[in-house]
Amino acid sequence: MAVVEREKLLEVKNLKKYFPAGKKGVLQAVDGVSFDIYKGETLGLVGESGCGKSTTGRTIIRLYDATDGEVFYEGEDVHNKKSRSELKKFNRKMQMIFQDPYASLNPRMTVKDIIAEGIDIHGLAKTTKERNERVYELLETVGLNREHANRYPHEFSGGQRQRIGIARALAVDPDFIIADEPISALDVSIQAQVVNLMMELQKERGLTYLFIAHDLSMVKHISDRVGVMYLGNIVELTTSDELYEEPLHPYTQALLSAIPVPDPELERSRERIILEGDVPSPINPPSGCRFRTRCPHAMDVCAAVKPKWQEAREGHWVACHLYDEEAVKQNN
Amino acid sequence: MDKLLELENLHVSFQTYGGEVKAVRGVSFTLEKGESLAIVGESGSGKSVTSKAVMRLLPNKIGSIKEGSIRFEGKDLAKATEREMEKIRGSEISMIFQDPMTSLNPTMTIGKQIMEGLRKHQNMNKSEAKERSINLLKLVGIPNPELRVDEYPHQFSGGMRQRVVIAIALACNPKVLIADEPTTALDVTIQAQILDLMRDLQDKTGTAIILITHDLGVVANLAQRVAVMYGGMIVETGTADEIFYKPKHPYTWGLLASMPKINSDSKELLAIPGTPPDLMNPPKGCPFAARCPHAMEVCIDHMPDATDVSSTHKAACWLLDERAPKVEPPEAAVVGGAR
Repeated sequence: MAVVEREKLLEVKNLKKYFPAGKKGVLQAVDGVSFDIYKGETLGLVGESGCGKSTTGRTIIRLYDATDGEVFYEGEDVHNKKSRSELKKFNRKMQMIFQDPYASLNPRMTVKDIIAEGIDIHGLAKTTKERNERVYELLETVGLNREHANRYPHEFSGGQRQRIGIARALAVDPDFIIADEPISALDVSIQAQVVNLMMELQKERGLTYLFIAHDLSMVKHISDRVGVMYLGNIVELTTSDELYEEPLHPYTQALLSAIPVPDPELERSRERIILEGDVPSPINPPSGCRFRTRCPHAMDVCAAVKPKWQEAREGHWVACHLYDEEAVKQNN
Repeated sequence: MDKLLELENLHVSFQTYGGEVKAVRGVSFTLEKGESLAIVGESGSGKSVTSKAVMRLLPNKIGSIKEGSIRFEGKDLAKATEREMEKIRGSEISMIFQDPMTSLNPTMTIGKQIMEGLRKHQNMNKSEAKERSINLLKLVGIPNPELRVDEYPHQFSGGMRQRVVIAIALACNPKVLIADEPTTALDVTIQAQILDLMRDLQDKTGTAIILITHDLGVVANLAQRVAVMYGGMIVETGTADEIFYKPKHPYTWGLLASMPKINSDSKELLAIPGTPPDLMNPPKGCPFAARCPHAMEVCIDHMPDATDVSSTHKAACWLLDERAPKVEPPEAAVVGGAR
C-alpha cells in the first residue's frame, strides 16, 4: 500500500476500565490500550472471552465511563464532554451494533419506532411522513422491505433482527460504527449475509468500523487492520494480511494455530501450538507480561518487566520481550 | 463392517400451539464401531433433535418419534421402554452437551457426579468408584485429580468443566458417544485442547463418536464421515474428504462458500440468500429449493432421492439426475484451492 497520510478518526490513548470486584478486588478489564482508527477503515479487535474487547468498545462509546485514559474523536476528547448538547452531537457520529439481536431490540416497540428512535431524538424528520420515508428507506438499505415497519421484533429471524439493528445504527447517519460481535449469534450462512451487507454499506457510505469478534477468520475477512487482545492488553496490531502471514506475538501464533480449518487434509497434517491451562483471572493478573504463564517462550524478564508497546516493523506493533533487543540482552 | 447404530427413516415431530413442527423428516444413517460421524447443519436443521431421539431425551409431552427405527446392536430404541433406556443411557450410549456451565450439577462435587453412573451401571462400591473417578480425571487431563475430585463445578473453568463432562460421559466405557456442539461455548485455544483430547480418547478407547456441530473446521478436525442436514433431512453424506473436496449438494457448496477461509485471500463471501424453511409447513419438494441458485421446476414439487455418487457418498439433489444440466460448484466452495 502506498504511504498516504491517512486521517485519524479516532485516537485511543492508554484507555483503562476497572470494575469493582468484591471487597478489595479490582477487575482490570481493560488496562491501558492505545490505538488509532483511520477514516474509512475497519479495525478488527479479536481475543478470547474476558480479554476486554467488548469493554474497550463500550468504553469508547461511553456506555462505560473510563477509569483512565483518553479517547479523541476527530481531535475532540470524548470523555470530558459534559453538556447534553455536546454529547448529543457526538452520539450522532458514533453508533453501535450489539451482539445479541434477541436482546438488543425492545420487544414492545414496532420496528418503525425502534429505527426512528434516533431520528426523533436528533429531530432529523420534520413530519410523520418524512419520518416514515426515512424508515422505509433504511429498511430497504439493509435488505428488508417497508411492510416490515409495523411488525414487532419477535416476528423476525436472527439475521433479520441484526439487519434491524444495523438500520437503527444507520438512522442518524453516523460516520463510525462499533460492531460488538455482530454475527456470533447467527448461523454460518446468515453470517455471510450480514458481513456482506456491512461491507457494502461501508463502501457506499464511507463508514469506519470497529469490528469486535472472537472469530478470527471472519475478522480477517472484514478488517483492514487487526488488534489482538489478551487479558486487558493489546498484544499485537497490524494489517490483517501481515497478522495472519507473520504473527509475531506468541499468543497470536497460538491463537491462529488453534483455529480449525475446514480442510481435512490440512487438519491432519497441521502442527498445532496448544496452549496449556486457562486465561488467568483479571482480578489478579500475572506481573510483567500477562501472557507469560501460558507462553511457550517465557523468559525471566517477562515476569519482572511489562513489555513495551513497540513498532517491530513498519506498521506492525507488538508488545513482547522477544522483539526487544534490550530486554533479551538483560535476560541473558 | 460392524454396524453399531442404524437409523432408518426417522421422523420426529413436536406439538406446539401453532401446530405440528416436523423437525426430523426421514433421517437414515449408520454408525460403525469406533468411527466418528459428524452431523452438520444450521440451527433448526434437526441435528440435535436426531441425537436426542437416539437417547430418547425428547420432551415427554410435546416431542415424539412418529415413524422409523433406531437400531442399536439389534434392539430398536424407538420402541424401548423408559426402564430399558435407563440401562443404555450413560453406559452404552452417552452424551456430551453444549454448555458445560449448565450440564453439571452445581450442588454436587465433581467426584460424586462421575461416580453416579459408575455406581448405578457397574455396581462399584464407593472406594472403587472414587478411584476410577480419579483415573478418569487424570485421563481427561485435569491436574491434581486427587484434590479436584472433591471440588464443586464452580471451582472449575469452562474448559476444565467440559473435560469433567467428558470424563462423566466416558465413565462406563460407552460404545457410542454423542457430542452435541461440544466446543461451541469454548474459546478457540480451549477448543483446540478439547478436540485434541477427544481424538486422543477415541484412539485409546475405541468409542464411536457422533459429533453434532455447525462448525466445518471442527468437522474437518475430528470426523471421518459427515452427514449434512437441512430442513430436517440429510441432504448429503460421505467421507470427510468427499464432503470437503467433492461436494455434490448445492447446500453443502453454500456452507463451504459462506465460511471465510483463513488461508485464502478471497474478498467475497458467497452468502446463501434467504432463510431456512418453516418446518411447521415444510416444503413439498427439496427443502433447499427456495434458496438454491440452481433450483429447477422439479425441485419445488418432488423431493429428490438420495443418489449414490460413490459407495460411501450420497446426495439428495435433482442435479445428479442424468437429465439435469451440469452445474459446477462455485469457486468459493473449493476447499484447498489456496494451497
